[in-house]
Amino acid sequence: MRGETVSKKNKTKLLVLTSFFFGICLISNEVFSNTFKDNLSKIDRKLATFDPGGKYLKQPFEKKIPKAQISGFLKNWSDFLLEENGVIGSHNQNNRFLQLQNLAEVEVDYNIAQGIDVKAIAHMLYDGVYDWQGGTGLSADSSDRSAELYHDGERVLRELYISYRKSWLDFRIGKQQLAWGKMDGQFIDIVNGMDRREFVQLESDDYEIRRLPTWMANSTFYFGKNTLQLLYVFDFEQDRLPGLHSPWASPLLPASSSDLITRSKRPQANNFSDHEYGIRLDRTSGALSYGFVYMYAWDKNPINKIIGTTFVNGDRVLNFESRHERIHHLGFTADYATTFSGIPLVGSLPTVFRVEALYSNGVRVTDARKQRAARNSGIFSDGISRHDTVRAAVAIELALPQRTTFMFQPSWYQTLNHKEGLGPAFGGGLSDEWSFIPVLYLTRPFAFSKDRMSADLTLYPVISGSDTGWGGIKTKFGINYKFSNFIKGRLTLNRYDGGSDSDFYGQYNNWDNIGWELSYEF
Amino acid sequence: MNFRRLSVNGLLITLLISAKASFSEPQKTWKALIDLSPQELELYDPSLNTPRDASIPYIPAEKYPFSAPYTAEEMGYRYAEFPHINRWANTMNDVFGVVTPSGYINQGAWITYTSLEGEPGFEGYMRHKPGEIYAKWMIWQTFPPDGQGGQQFWTPYRSDKNFRTKLDFYIYSKGLRRIRRMPEPRRDQRFPDNAQTIDDVMGRDPWEFKWEVLGTDVLYETVRFPNTRPNMVLNLDGEGFTAKPTESLKMMGENFEHYRPDGGVDCWVLKATADPEWVPDGYAEKYLVIWLEKNTFYPLRTEKYGLDDRLIMVDERLARFENAARKELGYSAYLSVYWNLDHDLISYSFHDGLKPRVWTKEEKQSIFTAEFMRREWMYEMVKTQALVEKPDQFFLRSKLYPNKFPEHRNVVLSAEIQKRYQAQEAAGKLIFESTGTE
Repeated sequence: MRGETVSKKNKTKLLVLTSFFFGICLISNEVFSNTFKDNLSKIDRKLATFDPGGKYLKQPFEKKIPKAQISGFLKNWSDFLLEENGVIGSHNQNNRFLQLQNLAEVEVDYNIAQGIDVKAIAHMLYDGVYDWQGGTGLSADSSDRSAELYHDGERVLRELYISYRKSWLDFRIGKQQLAWGKMDGQFIDIVNGMDRREFVQLESDDYEIRRLPTWMANSTFYFGKNTLQLLYVFDFEQDRLPGLHSPWASPLLPASSSDLITRSKRPQANNFSDHEYGIRLDRTSGALSYGFVYMYAWDKNPINKIIGTTFVNGDRVLNFESRHERIHHLGFTADYATTFSGIPLVGSLPTVFRVEALYSNGVRVTDARKQRAARNSGIFSDGISRHDTVRAAVAIELALPQRTTFMFQPSWYQTLNHKEGLGPAFGGGLSDEWSFIPVLYLTRPFAFSKDRMSADLTLYPVISGSDTGWGGIKTKFGINYKFSNFIKGRLTLNRYDGGSDSDFYGQYNNWDNIGWELSYEF
Repeated sequence: MNFRRLSVNGLLITLLISAKASFSEPQKTWKALIDLSPQELELYDPSLNTPRDASIPYIPAEKYPFSAPYTAEEMGYRYAEFPHINRWANTMNDVFGVVTPSGYINQGAWITYTSLEGEPGFEGYMRHKPGEIYAKWMIWQTFPPDGQGGQQFWTPYRSDKNFRTKLDFYIYSKGLRRIRRMPEPRRDQRFPDNAQTIDDVMGRDPWEFKWEVLGTDVLYETVRFPNTRPNMVLNLDGEGFTAKPTESLKMMGENFEHYRPDGGVDCWVLKATADPEWVPDGYAEKYLVIWLEKNTFYPLRTEKYGLDDRLIMVDERLARFENAARKELGYSAYLSVYWNLDHDLISYSFHDGLKPRVWTKEEKQSIFTAEFMRREWMYEMVKTQALVEKPDQFFLRSKLYPNKFPEHRNVVLSAEIQKRYQAQEAAGKLIFESTGTE
């Protein structure tokens, strides 16, 4: 009995003590939570007015030169591998950072007279992946300096053009970039080359800073519901692919080759016959808008054409000419919007349909059979085949409740008259006859963050045929946060799953990474 | 817990105890329908089943803008004359923003050109053929920096029960250099980072509501400036940038002839209940309570109530007479403040440098198309210096008047928001986040 009383007393003491400590914890927690909240609130208010570029550059500059406007940004974005995986094919992945990129850009617009303006954009990129981490796997900067730093005028001077406008005409001449198309990904966006250093991780959002502006004359005529655009591109910029020993170098790239590239041929600005031409016609009719494009262009990526063979140490090796080839592009784009009503669960459903297609005629493709015949038997062959390709996509975008946007975009890539042994072809299947990528995209802001935070999820599964089948899936999950009107941040997780080591995404199965971006704009 | 925090909490508790007085109006300014004077009743027609128009069966037969006495429905139609964006062609810089309880401010400045496909005013809209584009709005973003040079093209439709699309909506992202047609925003859903919904911007069709008059009231203030913002720089037509004392900005503008001697504005107070036959399924705004200036029927205050009958948003305006050609219908939303009570989000929209505009046929054809955005051509600059510079210079939360028309108005605030509201009333400026230490 006494024992029970003592036990009860002890329990009571324990309860009191526990309650006391719990109470203290609660109060401390409350105090800490409120202090933390207060501090965040103070940071918010400080950041709200943090705009040194605007205060010390933009405002005085525009006050001094009223006809000019200046803007710019600083961006840092970094991708960090979840695991270091050592040697993968030709790539030695003994580093963690895939990007440590810092980009500064300044844009100046000057109004010369009514309808006449000049625009100049300069930018500078420095990627710290080659200097700021250990490991010997990354050395692409020694063969291509621009992989690390934009060091020449061509890269630093991003855009420079003069424009003349009348209500019925736009005329722009100079270095510029032009984006055709409305889809996620590139379908009729064929005018400019692209810096594809991130390769499979290059996204539509990056095109603006990765596209390679070129010198051209661009005129557009406006009449009623129609517009007609004429392009004359007198300089040529090719794509830049990730080379050996760069962070996104394909592990399938051969580390070395006994074949020789004995000469290269590239379209020249001073050769009239090397220039490119484009035309685009658009029309709007009620809820439907549509357009057609045609471009007589160069393939942005060179192909190795066999120009002879030689014997090295008793083996026959191929002599290549690296050259760009002409392609005729014919494209179509359309979109249509409507609102469905009486839909279960969501009531009304605002919806947009988009479609885009590009037919490319005369795409030159490496033909392994022909190369083998030339190498093994010395049979005369250029080692390439000529094919037509089609790439097309249909997108449906839905405005769901809770400010949620959902998009489904099945995309199709086809090499016509495909045969075994063909290499990658512009616009064609991914190392196969056809590829199907049904892109799924979902995004929404979060009310608890007062919409400052939003999340997005994108899935890119690849199915190819008739040989490959499942080619892997890329998954991108991102969280965006607005710190202020001037500062934004983003965290991303990129995963590559499934597929074999030789598949489009499968080859990057060891490239899962997290990334962060921080940008300040003024 | 420190003494500073205790003293702040103590102050707040004291404020809360004494809040009843300031939470309610100092004197009764409102009258229920049964208390209206004979003069007021002469202006009001209680009829519910008035004759219908021969060609459009859901609108009143009497010719718009009607004459006294007015039915509740007719007042509702007059209310529809004054949506957030004018029903006549103009240019302006729409300066807008939001502040969160933590003091984060997000603002924008959009040069906006509007053009009409039909006749101006609500009558023009009402008589426009359903399913056809009624207006075209071209927007050029000048702020914030990440949106600079971005553009939007809105084409509102005349809609009805059979054609429910409110607008086509295109954006041009400078970053993507692409024109993209977007799904229209859902009508009852606030824009991200804002308290406004698309219906708040575009206006509401009066035939989608059932109207009743609750009574009358006198408003003495709508939009309230904090004591930290004594002046505001306005872009005035013919005067350029002019610093004006904020206290000089009046509810119906400077030269309104119907101010009461004490500065008040006489209002009708209406209740507009969404008609489920017209609005989308699950439409989140069950009814509105609207204060209409008595002579012009200009909506100076609109309250939105949710499906649970709770007050969810207050929209208050300062109006300005901007279009002489439209006579009494030429008033325009000059400055609007929206307070979302659930999230304690305060938004504003200020129409700076607004001017009526007659577009030539050539301009209408060239500027007001989605393809125009690809040209990246800021056709006409309308400058502004009206952005809020610091969070504590943001507009105050609206007054709540919980005792007015209590049978129809369920005004409930969460304890936390009520605390901030009271702290704001005491300080004369916004007080941010939990403890209000700054």
